[in-house]
Amino acid sequence: MKEENLPSIKELEEYVRQGKLMGFKCKKCGHKEVTPFVYCPRCGSSEVEVVELPKTGKVVTYTIQWVAPERFLNEVPYAWCVVELDDGTMVSGWIPFISKPEDLPIGQKVRMVKSYKPGVYFEKVKE
Amino acid sequence: MRKVVLLGTGSTKYGKLNVTAREAAVLAAKEAIEKVGISNRDVEAVFVSNVFGMTEKQGHLGPIIAHSLGIPYAPTFTVETACASGSTAFREAFVNIAAGFYDCILVVGTEKVSHLDTITATTYFSYGSDFAFEAVNGASFPGLYASIARYHMHKYGTTEEQLAAVAVKNHSNAIHNPKAHFHKKITVEDVLKSRVVASPLKLYDCCPFSDGASAAIIASEEFAKKHIDTLIYVLGTGRASAPAALFNRENMASIISSKLAAEQAFKNSRLTHKDIDFMEVHDCFTIAEVIAIEDMGFCKKGEGAKLAEEGVTEIDGKLPVNPSGGLKAKGHPVGATGVGQINEVYEQLLGEAGKRQVEGATTALTHNVGATGGTCNVLIFRRGD
Repeated sequence: MKEENLPSIKELEEYVRQGKLMGFKCKKCGHKEVTPFVYCPRCGSSEVEVVELPKTGKVVTYTIQWVAPERFLNEVPYAWCVVELDDGTMVSGWIPFISKPEDLPIGQKVRMVKSYKPGVYFEKVKE
Repeated sequence: MRKVVLLGTGSTKYGKLNVTAREAAVLAAKEAIEKVGISNRDVEAVFVSNVFGMTEKQGHLGPIIAHSLGIPYAPTFTVETACASGSTAFREAFVNIAAGFYDCILVVGTEKVSHLDTITATTYFSYGSDFAFEAVNGASFPGLYASIARYHMHKYGTTEEQLAAVAVKNHSNAIHNPKAHFHKKITVEDVLKSRVVASPLKLYDCCPFSDGASAAIIASEEFAKKHIDTLIYVLGTGRASAPAALFNRENMASIISSKLAAEQAFKNSRLTHKDIDFMEVHDCFTIAEVIAIEDMGFCKKGEGAKLAEEGVTEIDGKLPVNPSGGLKAKGHPVGATGVGQINEVYEQLLGEAGKRQVEGATTALTHNVGATGGTCNVLIFRRGD
């Protein structure tokens, strides 16, 4: 998908490599997602804009991957997680060096950081 | 809308097969045709479900299967909705019969994955989710269901022991299913001690990668009455989608498409939960059986985990779930799975399920999910008197 003014998935991945999280926002109802849409999945409006999302949020749920997909074979064990960003937008990402549930309580504060590693890379934030 | 009847079914054994997907499909289809006692030439169209055909260097399976069945000019249609492909093919065949366009359709689901190594198969399975936004960040397919499981545990207090009870029950049922992938009794202890795949899910919480094919023949009531005595009606069907990405859902321990599909199937069958004598649900992971039962409204949200532990979902329990052994132990040949569930319904409703027979069953439900819930199909069947 490459609408005028809307970034392609390739461009979104490039933003991630630069340490930025971009999202799609419905101008009508305010709904935000990281997955591309040209009509809002919540209200159906076609008024869509691209916004930069906050880098911090909290862990909603996660798994500790002991068997990983190809690009992550060398990272095991790590947590793949769902994070609710400070503005309420939901994203997925991963956190290195997590091997047991005590390492990552649900609700843990995290921050997205720029990394040479693949994907959306989060670190735990000390409160 | 015309009444639609399930004429009969056929299936290969599930597990590791030494034939390709196209060959397995033909074997299952031939068994179904012979069991029903119609001529192959009575089949007017072939609906095929298959997901990983390209890994065998073969797409466009429909005409190849039809040709081998001696009906080379019958139109075919191949569908892919990840692990829900089989029931999607069945439901769309149902629509064609109900609308009066065809009188008799062969539905066949088939899959071959045993030629792939574990890492490759794991990667292919994750293509059914929103790959660019989930797997790209390190989630395997079990990892996504594991995240559903952890959310369920956190929100409702579900335990790993309760999830293990689902695996124990389904393995126990599969022992009596000659076509099942596994014939091995396991204990809660075995599940808890098995290797962690994606915590909190361990190896025995996960279904296997299986080869296999299942076929079903469906027809108009008028056609059915000319060929068979006991009619099994397809009374209710429901289909829905949901956001493919887990994080785009309001409750991460719920599959909305399950809820929507079940509501439709109950509405158009004019039946209620109490009418269901048993069901085959999509237990690709132990947690999946739990949330299937909850999301379809058979118990309150968050209370599904104790059902297996308390014996409610056993074959002789109040609500038998997966008497076949389910995806967990019968096996999960992706494209075949949804049709295989219908094979179980057929055998059960005719009283031919042997030691896994649900006594007196006349009404059954199947529930088949694509990936983590991007698609869900629910079907309700009832034996006519």
